[in-house]
Amino acid sequence: MYPRIVLVIGMLLGLACSAQAQAPNPDPAAAGQQETIKALIQEVNELKARIAVLEASQAKTDAAAAAATGSTKPVSMAVPQPPAAPQPPIPTSAAGDSFGFIRGLKLQGFGSVTYKANDASPPELGASLGPIAGTTGNFAVGDVDLFLTSQLTSRASILTEVVFSEQTSGEFETDVERLLLKFDPSDYLKMSFGRFHTGTSYYNSVFHHGFWLQTAADRPLVVEFSDHGGLLPSQAVGASLTGRVPSGKLGLNYIFEYGSAETIRPQITSADAPEIEENNGNELTAGFFLKPDWLPGLNAGGSFYHDHLNPGASNLHVEQSIGSAHVVYSTPRFEFLNEGFIVQHKIQETGQLFNTPSFYSLISQKIGERWRPYFRYQYINAPQGEPVYPDVGLHNGPSAGLRFDANDYIALKVQYDRTFRRALPAFNNVLGQMAFRF
Amino acid sequence: MTWHKRSAALATLLLIVLSCGLPAQQTPADARSVDVAVIVNPMNKLDSISAVDLRKIFSGEKLSWGNGLPVSVFVRAPQAHERDVLLNRVLHMTESEYKAHWVKKVYSGEAQREPLSLLSNGMQLEAVRAERGGIALINMQDLHQGVKVLKVDGKLPGTAGYSLK
Repeated sequence: MYPRIVLVIGMLLGLACSAQAQAPNPDPAAAGQQETIKALIQEVNELKARIAVLEASQAKTDAAAAAATGSTKPVSMAVPQPPAAPQPPIPTSAAGDSFGFIRGLKLQGFGSVTYKANDASPPELGASLGPIAGTTGNFAVGDVDLFLTSQLTSRASILTEVVFSEQTSGEFETDVERLLLKFDPSDYLKMSFGRFHTGTSYYNSVFHHGFWLQTAADRPLVVEFSDHGGLLPSQAVGASLTGRVPSGKLGLNYIFEYGSAETIRPQITSADAPEIEENNGNELTAGFFLKPDWLPGLNAGGSFYHDHLNPGASNLHVEQSIGSAHVVYSTPRFEFLNEGFIVQHKIQETGQLFNTPSFYSLISQKIGERWRPYFRYQYINAPQGEPVYPDVGLHNGPSAGLRFDANDYIALKVQYDRTFRRALPAFNNVLGQMAFRF
Repeated sequence: MTWHKRSAALATLLLIVLSCGLPAQQTPADARSVDVAVIVNPMNKLDSISAVDLRKIFSGEKLSWGNGLPVSVFVRAPQAHERDVLLNRVLHMTESEYKAHWVKKVYSGEAQREPLSLLSNGMQLEAVRAERGGIALINMQDLHQGVKVLKVDGKLPGTAGYSLK
């Protein structure tokens, strides 16, 4: 008898639970939930109506194609599809003509604050502007980089990079580093018109002016921007074409540029010496590089650059040819950059040839989520009497550093450089840098 | 009444009472074990895609379909299961690495913009339906009509060996 009573009580309790789940709940919190559910249902209905309008308009415009495919229903599936489980639409900033692109200007920026201590004697400007040559150490802002993009259509966009560079005097100089109208008809042909960074080096094509983007606190001297003392012509105005070459898993790509370069570089070993204006003629760059499917992160290739110079508006006319090759393996956690260059200057009046070989190599490995130690070695050997690089000579030496990513926007770096020079004493650099994006 | 009968009755009562508290819906853990489908616009002629091409599309290396139509990539915002599958199974990146990757991609001019992050699967469905070049990853449970599901390396979601889960 007793078990039956317990069973009946249990069933009654079960029924009560079930009834409680279905009956209106006088609890204010539950009432609030019901209001939310009502609102969500309303939003779902509105979403359904919006989808119906979209589908109707799409069916109208694509009627012929729809007839060809037969249906807009999903392909047959090997698994049964569960019943619809509508979700409430949540508004995003994706307001525009469609989901494909958002009109308007998008502004991003990169900046840094660097402390540099240097014991070079005689003082050397080095490869970064801002820090004052000859001082034992000082702070500098370096480059303030504003990066603007605007998508015009699904294939066309505008890219602008404006840089405010701190000079050794402490004043800032404004430079439109890149201004490009980009048109990408397909993966095989991407066109850019305007002012661009030349494809003379991998470094120049990838890192631009964003210190936050690069692992090290400064650029290797050879690929430093020419207006900061670097050797390669880093900017040109003209047209640039790039894209894939049908090559299957090899992932072969090409780059072709034609434009007018205008290189003006300061003399790095003497801050007071006049800048060297190369008076470049039109430049031509052609290159190929591989990004194979079988090893994501590998990028290997090379380029050839050619133009004519009239350095310092002298009587000399120089034919400049730059050959470069790179092997880069870069994943989110591991980075191995290797680039080599030969810059050849041929004086047309005398036929003299000057070859300046150079390379750099950087290796870094991310440890945990925030730390990234790195090591770099760089080498430049400009021959004596070089008409365009009278200040460079031999520069070689190692750098070691540590990068700490405080978050997705701020990176702290410390770096030590030891640089050896021909017929001059070796010197040390210590850099501390806070690089950020915004 | 024996001790055994009393125990059985109490156990029955306990089971009935406890059953009242069991949730009727699937738990988030269940949702996370469901396969994630690759969906495209029905006008897309592809029926299957390789894992390599999927990585290229979601990493911004492949920007157009075979017919030249621009690819419109849609991704879920952080914390969603589809986002986890994208990062862990397709791109092999952390959230921070994904953000840094796209900053570099756009800054170098290789891509026009980073993929649009959407806050719900409903929005993903709507986006892929609206964009002829649209592609997105979506939980199978939220799949609706009006989009096409692609095989990945020849396998449909729900079949043995399907990689996106």
